[in-house]
Amino acid sequence: MNPMIRKELRQRMRERRAWILPSLYLLVLGGAVTFAYFTSFERSGFREVQGAEVGTTVFVVAAFAQLAILLLITPVFSAGAVTIEKEQRTLAGLLTSLLTTPEIWWGKFVAALLFQVLLLVSAVPVLALAFAFGGVGWRELGIATLTTLVVVVSFSAVGLACSAYFRRTIHATAVTYAVLGALTALTAIASLLLTGRGDRPVLAPLYLNPFFTMMVGLFDDGRWRVTGAWPSVVQWGISLGAFLALAAAAAIAAIAFLRQGGEQV
Amino acid sequence: MIEIDALIKRYGPTTALDRFTARIEPGEVFGLVGPNGSGKTTLIKVLATLIRPDAGRASIAGHDVVAEARQVRALVGYVPDVPGVYQDMRVEEFLEFFADAFRLRGPRRRAAVEGALERAGLARRRGDFVEQLSMGLKQRLVLAKSLLHAPRVALLDEPGTGLDPLARIELRELLKSLARDGVAVLISSHILTDLEDICDRVALIAAGANVPDAEGHAILVLRGGSEAAQSCQIDVLGDAEAAAGVAAQFPDARLLSRQGQRLVVGIPGGPEQAAALLRHMVGAGVTVARFDPRGPDLGHRFKQAFGGGAA
Repeated sequence: MNPMIRKELRQRMRERRAWILPSLYLLVLGGAVTFAYFTSFERSGFREVQGAEVGTTVFVVAAFAQLAILLLITPVFSAGAVTIEKEQRTLAGLLTSLLTTPEIWWGKFVAALLFQVLLLVSAVPVLALAFAFGGVGWRELGIATLTTLVVVVSFSAVGLACSAYFRRTIHATAVTYAVLGALTALTAIASLLLTGRGDRPVLAPLYLNPFFTMMVGLFDDGRWRVTGAWPSVVQWGISLGAFLALAAAAAIAAIAFLRQGGEQV
Repeated sequence: MIEIDALIKRYGPTTALDRFTARIEPGEVFGLVGPNGSGKTTLIKVLATLIRPDAGRASIAGHDVVAEARQVRALVGYVPDVPGVYQDMRVEEFLEFFADAFRLRGPRRRAAVEGALERAGLARRRGDFVEQLSMGLKQRLVLAKSLLHAPRVALLDEPGTGLDPLARIELRELLKSLARDGVAVLISSHILTDLEDICDRVALIAAGANVPDAEGHAILVLRGGSEAAQSCQIDVLGDAEAAAGVAAQFPDARLLSRQGQRLVVGIPGGPEQAAALLRHMVGAGVTVARFDPRGPDLGHRFKQAFGGGAA
């Protein structure tokens, strides 16, 4: 096992946030699901609603809430991963050991990601609550989980690249949130501006928008897809591919920055 | 073992290293002395493969520090000026992590960690968190960590800073024992008395360049040097000018400097010649208050080289 992974996991599990964060996460997610459950009844004017209608509402709210929460958490775990080594003056020890820079990066990346995978897995039962109402199947659960995972992988890599570049955690975290904000908000604005008054929407900027990726994964033309049907491979696939490309570029940049890290120690 | 040839490193308009040159042999303790910002830390970082020089060449055991950085890291133990530690790891975990990072396996790993715990005097505190250790113990832990993989070269940047007197004595003993084992030790320090105690040779450095002392030596030999020549520091009572004349009559002697009652005389040969010079002067009626065949102390040479600046 890569010694960096062992060290990182040991240190992370000793932090207080190791147990506080999952508890808070499940609490917020549980709150969102409960809210979705009651509003789906309220919207219907307390008429007799179809179980499938409640199921899809609960599932969609839970999937988007999970994505939003994990997006907010990602920079906390990734953007400080290398800067903390610079701040506590331990990076020199790593860079002068026989660990390679890809090994150092991989250890940091896996440690940052594993904790979020833990959160993702712990939320599966909450998402699966929707199964009880119908309208949602394993395939939708898989699509939502895979989409969230790819987006989190991508932003973790971006956070690590910022962490390898900047000297201070505060700067790396701020820039990671800025990238996240830009990809979430600015891509939507860019798509709106490019579409203008044209008939056909210009979706290209949205392929790097995490919520768009989730949307095209779960919906067809704004409507809930028939349970069990595959999403639009073109749009969802391009979007996932764009996030994976972003992750690869960020990883290459992070390793390059780490190689020059001796200038910052 | 360590060859440094005309190294140049620039940070924007600032030249941190300006054609610095030196050669350090196995089993030698070599000191770097210079004012703050003179390039000592930059030089050590280049040798530790942390930063790349802009020009010149440095190699360790024949391996270029830029082109063969990985081979160099396997040979080097590096102690930075501010030793970093993982406060939330236990002492033993900290050493085990670095043993793994240096690819030590099985019994060799176990032995290296136990040896490092003993060397740092932390065997009884192996289960304590690093944050519970005092500053001095943390520095000993970092030093022990840097020696885990039995390096052939030790690079130490201001290792005595923050250590209490006892810890400094132990550090000096450790460095001497490393040198006896054939390790080449390069140490930078502002504590000149420590350097004088342990170093075989010392290089003066300012603005990244070699600086000769008042006698024109770029590298000062403190011990174990050539028997071909040496300078003797002589404090006399009475007429210092007459004493200087007597010293100058000694065969092949050269008066290098005279400040008040203190003469520095260069003579060829080794300790026998120094003893002969002393006999010659006493025989000529000069009252010698102090005779040091090692020449002026490092503090005196530092003042002469750097115009009285603080060490």
